[in-house]
Amino acid sequence: MCARLGWAVGQLSCLALLVFLGTAALSGDAAVTLLGDGYDPGQAARLRARLQLDDPVWTRFGRWLADLCRGDLGRSLVGGEPVGTVIAHAAAPTLVLAGATLLVVVPLAGTLGFAAGVREGSALDRVLTTVTVALYAVPDFVVALLVVALVSVRLRLLPPTALGADGATLLTRPELLVLPVLVLCCQSTSSLSRQVRAGALDALGTGYVAQAVRLGLPRWRVLLRHVAPNAVAPAVQSTARVISSLVGGVLVVEVVFAVPGLASELISAVAARDVPTVQGITLVLGAAVLLVNLAADLVVARVVPRARERA
Amino acid sequence: MTRWPSPRRLLALGMTLVPVLTAVLGPALAGLPHAPPGGPYAPSGPHHLLGTDGLGRDVLTTTLQGGRSILLLTLTATLLAYLLGGLAGLAAATGANRLVEQLLLRPLDVVVAIPALLLVSVAAVWLRGEASAMALVIAFAYAPRIARIVHAAALDAAGRGAVEAMRQQRESWACIHLGYIGRAALRPVVADLDTRIVGVLYLVASANFLGLGFGPGSPDWAVTIARNESGLLLQPWSVLAPATMIALLVVGVNLLGDDVLHRPRTARVGAPR
Repeated sequence: MCARLGWAVGQLSCLALLVFLGTAALSGDAAVTLLGDGYDPGQAARLRARLQLDDPVWTRFGRWLADLCRGDLGRSLVGGEPVGTVIAHAAAPTLVLAGATLLVVVPLAGTLGFAAGVREGSALDRVLTTVTVALYAVPDFVVALLVVALVSVRLRLLPPTALGADGATLLTRPELLVLPVLVLCCQSTSSLSRQVRAGALDALGTGYVAQAVRLGLPRWRVLLRHVAPNAVAPAVQSTARVISSLVGGVLVVEVVFAVPGLASELISAVAARDVPTVQGITLVLGAAVLLVNLAADLVVARVVPRARERA
Repeated sequence: MTRWPSPRRLLALGMTLVPVLTAVLGPALAGLPHAPPGGPYAPSGPHHLLGTDGLGRDVLTTTLQGGRSILLLTLTATLLAYLLGGLAGLAAATGANRLVEQLLLRPLDVVVAIPALLLVSVAAVWLRGEASAMALVIAFAYAPRIARIVHAAALDAAGRGAVEAMRQQRESWACIHLGYIGRAALRPVVADLDTRIVGVLYLVASANFLGLGFGPGSPDWAVTIARNESGLLLQPWSVLAPATMIALLVVGVNLLGDDVLHRPRTARVGAPR
């Protein structure tokens, strides 16, 4: 437990180093790139001084890390706003989107996967396998565009974008959420239901389930009391992985549906070469994924005695 | 007597070959029926079989030209990832020092946990549009996953008596590590080649769609989809043609890998990318 927590701290520091090196150290001469072609040398020197680009990389990293530990993510190069404020504004729509998706995906994938695993080879199992393979393979931006074209433009059923909506608006106007959540669900349901199905199959094949059947316990009791709890452990870890792949999906979906969340903010910051904002958002998203993994490991350690020693 | 491949494999092969052939032969065919540039989002007609896109370019021509970048980038990045990951995994598995093993593998876990698209967007701040840089970043994002598998497989092979015997015979490092351990570890490593290729393909397409990759003028399939998104209703082909190509490629490689690499139909769908 303590080792796992210590490792999480190590992971977070690795993440910080990675983000800093990726954005700051690779930059060459950031000032020149920021100003574009035909810049004025004096202007570049002033910008370089303002961004303190003349110091060596390690000094800059130390300063950045110290600021980070105090919760100061710097200021956006574009709007001049503190990055913390930008993130706080943009986090709400992203959280609503991800939360709504999880609320749909976890029960849906759990039920479907468990039902398919319990009746391996049945019609339900085969249909589910085919559908999940197809949905999992097609890139989510293709799915998203097709859904927009069909549902909101052709049939005019639901709004095609959530432009200008913040977290609260998304909650009060659920029709804005339907399409983005639908697209996000396609992939995550496919992947999670496969994992649950595999977990159920594994649990069905164990000795204690065979023994329970031999003792004449009713089938529903065997399934609920013995198979389901043991299929949960792998499912918890898969859910953690689904959440981290959800970040990739959210990136695409927010852009397609113009949801003003963290991902849209990140993509426009990348386009504008707004380094502090990119650093802040990738740090927050990366840390969120690492923490979700940590939580999943701790939950599994609690549920499965075998894993407790490893955690 | 020659055995015909199963219909399933034929279907998978066909699905993969359409986009691959388009990508390979397309650029040579693209200019043949020379089409004068038309107005933006012109419907299909005699000059433009599939109409034009938002810039008035012929959709058929851009689609023929747009496959090369995604295919080359995917193949280069996958190869690089296997090279980097393979060497790191081998070094970690066969190094004499446990500390070195931990130092090599532990940081890799962080890279595995972070969504690859985030890494690409960090790098895209400065390295946008350079194919070689993109390939390196994507390889860097995927190498740790491969290093883990290679490490596990090589650890198994390195413990065998044969390796001990070779050491005592004073065989060279390359002979033991690449010739024996590497070869023994090859099978489990290649087993999920298709998942890796699809993952990289996906990443390349998503990055290009989000504008983290090639510039907006590129004929790349994903870039053109993003460009013509607003014209989806006016001129559906401008989006549908490249989107079909990408979908065929990803689904085809998936099916083909499933069919060739995993004989008993084990569902590999849930594997994280």
